[in-house]
Amino acid sequence: MNYPVWVVPYLGSGWIIGIIAIIHIYLSHFAVGGGAFLAITEGLAYKRKDERIYEYLRSHSRFFMILTSVSGAVTGVAIWWAISLVNPDGTAILIQNFTLAWALEYLFFVAELATIFVYYYSWDRISKEAHLKLAKLYCFMSIMTLVIINGILTFMLTPGEWIHSGYWLHGFLNPTYFPSLIMRLLIMFAIAGMYALVTSSKLQDEELRVMMVKYCAKWLVPVLLIGPFVAWWFIANIPQATMANIFTGIQSSGIGNFSVLARTLYLSFILSGTILLFAYFGPYLNPRGFTFRIAILFLICGLAATGSTEYMRELLRKPYVVYNYVYCNGVLKSKVAELQKDGFFNHGIWAKACAAQTTDDAAKGELMFRYQCMSCHTTDGYRSMKKLLGERDEEAIYGFLSMLKETDPEKNQYLGIMPPVAAQDGELKQLAKYLYTINHSSSAINVGSEKSEPKAAVPVKSNAI
Amino acid sequence: MTSSTNKGCSLVEWLDARLGLHDALKFAQKKQVPVHKHSVWYYMGGIALMLMAIQVATGVLLMVYYQPGLEAAHSSILRLNSSVDFGWFFRSLHSWGANVLIAVLVFHLFSAYFMKAYRQPREFTWYTGLILMVIALGFGFTGYLLPWDDVSFFATKIGLDIASKMPVLGEFAANLLRGGHNIGQATLSRFFVIHVAVLPILTLGLLGIHLLMVQVHGMSEPAFFKKLDAAKKTYEKFFPNFLLKDVLVWLLALNGLAALVTLCPWGLGPEADPFGAAPVGIKPEWYFLAPFQFLKLVPAQVGPFEGELFGALMMIVICSGMALVPFYDKGDSPEKARIATFYGIVLLLGIIVFTIWGALS
Repeated sequence: MNYPVWVVPYLGSGWIIGIIAIIHIYLSHFAVGGGAFLAITEGLAYKRKDERIYEYLRSHSRFFMILTSVSGAVTGVAIWWAISLVNPDGTAILIQNFTLAWALEYLFFVAELATIFVYYYSWDRISKEAHLKLAKLYCFMSIMTLVIINGILTFMLTPGEWIHSGYWLHGFLNPTYFPSLIMRLLIMFAIAGMYALVTSSKLQDEELRVMMVKYCAKWLVPVLLIGPFVAWWFIANIPQATMANIFTGIQSSGIGNFSVLARTLYLSFILSGTILLFAYFGPYLNPRGFTFRIAILFLICGLAATGSTEYMRELLRKPYVVYNYVYCNGVLKSKVAELQKDGFFNHGIWAKACAAQTTDDAAKGELMFRYQCMSCHTTDGYRSMKKLLGERDEEAIYGFLSMLKETDPEKNQYLGIMPPVAAQDGELKQLAKYLYTINHSSSAINVGSEKSEPKAAVPVKSNAI
Repeated sequence: MTSSTNKGCSLVEWLDARLGLHDALKFAQKKQVPVHKHSVWYYMGGIALMLMAIQVATGVLLMVYYQPGLEAAHSSILRLNSSVDFGWFFRSLHSWGANVLIAVLVFHLFSAYFMKAYRQPREFTWYTGLILMVIALGFGFTGYLLPWDDVSFFATKIGLDIASKMPVLGEFAANLLRGGHNIGQATLSRFFVIHVAVLPILTLGLLGIHLLMVQVHGMSEPAFFKKLDAAKKTYEKFFPNFLLKDVLVWLLALNGLAALVTLCPWGLGPEADPFGAAPVGIKPEWYFLAPFQFLKLVPAQVGPFEGELFGALMMIVICSGMALVPFYDKGDSPEKARIATFYGIVLLLGIIVFTIWGALS
């Protein structure tokens, strides 16, 4: 409410972050797990004095360096760019609390990049001992980036004592910090193993290929053996209301209500189970028959499991950006009552300025829609209001919004998955008026269009962005 | 440790003496699978078999709750979807599984066709496969009506109306399936019995012959592979090499199915109202879209024939090539082989084009 709104038609702004984040997670997990893979495998080559493994690592590290440093860095910056635009209020809270942590993470990231470049370009130029030390240094740097970013990611789901104390370290070392750190490390080792299976499957020397395929498959063993226990530890520490959402979803999976979280959970379980069986029947039992094509399919399966698990983790946090503190639309939980009493447009720097530019009720309603609903909904695309509203008339929409305004879970069943509408009664009517026009738009309303655009510079971004 | 190993050995020996496991293993190890650029199509049969097993298992579970009565059919599925733990999951698995199975069977049929797997001595394998394909479509047609929702009701009505236009036995067969002139309790009971008893028994017998023939004649080899020198031909053992890869492909197929089931659970429309109007733009399932679209293009009257009858006869004539091809392309004439391939391509393209056309129209 203090910043402009970024309108992404059809797809919705949330998916912009989602798509970039999922790609970044694949790359960053590969970077950290791959760091450990390089260090441990080079240690194996050094111990066995096996030049063939060195040769394999040389070609593997080229692929690794290009993928993680270039694509990883680009998507990492893209996440910053996207979250700043999509949720500036939430991003501001994170930056203000974790300035030091993020600065440290950046330093480790730069050091990680420098190390991988030196590592790759120093093959055969320095001693084997020194090269192995570089591998270990890279592994350390990459794990440190995880150690830091994990604190901020888990803070968003379980801010813990920070809610009361406001002390950043309380938020950083929150209840899910350690289970999440261990789980991520295990997943990273598994992804590193799956990526390495792809490069191993192309080795010409059959004896080496069989050995490396079996070796890479072993990188999946930790997550398969320890993963379920760590996942249980993680789940035991997430908020009870989130658990209730999962169980409601499981109970109502068949009729579709509230069940996206549950369905993603099923998918995550099924894919993980498949990986377990795949790893056993594929590279372990039949390493000779583990071809490049199968390795690619296996990797896709692994990435799908990681993607669905990450998506589920993101859903667990809904409807908050920082659990129990700030909602996904940037409204602070503690401010809801005040906003409902004083009016949304009487608060917030940008929202207030925008509302002052127009007197049209529907245009104000659209502004309200952009600020309070558009972080999750679009008019006619993802979570389409067009479909959700159906044939409801303005009165029915107003009635529904009045229910969504309630902060008592007994009166508002959507409270676990949607923020309460933080608006005065008059503003609710404006929102209802606009929502009605979505399916009955003889006169299209658009803040920023000629109809409502003020003469002065309009502080609301247009749909064209 | 030693004693448990001995116990394990003695158990295997005990089973071997009674079941002939050793001989079966020797046979599996002796069986070879050709390795070439089209080997990927060999996996289709295995996937189809796995999907059939899923259909049987989920079908049995659905039967526990399904009630084939006019008043009860729709509500029993609704209850299964909303009240029975994971009932929605098994129903979705069954419905999605059926669709995926038919898609895989189409791939299997045409890959076998283009590899000329219908030629001597594999005619029986080919014909049993063709009949199994028709039976799979029969499963789809009969199973579609069972939830008794409005779309399935009217789609079945249209399907049977078209069937009744067939010459000689059309009217009789349609009435037999309907149990009269209208779709009602008799139709539902008949479709249920056909779906859970008649077709499964036929499938079991035909599938047995089909698989036996595959074991007897081995995997079919495409023409270019046959022409290679013996030294250049590569094979892999069916057991354990091919089978282990087969398991991986099954797992992947299972994953695809699980993704469909969890992300897009199979829905249920409103209960059928025989006296109501048909839903606007009603269409059959995707595997019947091609004939549906073809029939839509045929004029109401073609010469002395009624349009639907003419269209249906045309389709029978066009598709009969699949049944006649083993007698035409015996592998002795490159010209005939080319014509057979051309026919297959045209038929396949026709099915694809009409299916897409039907879906978009």
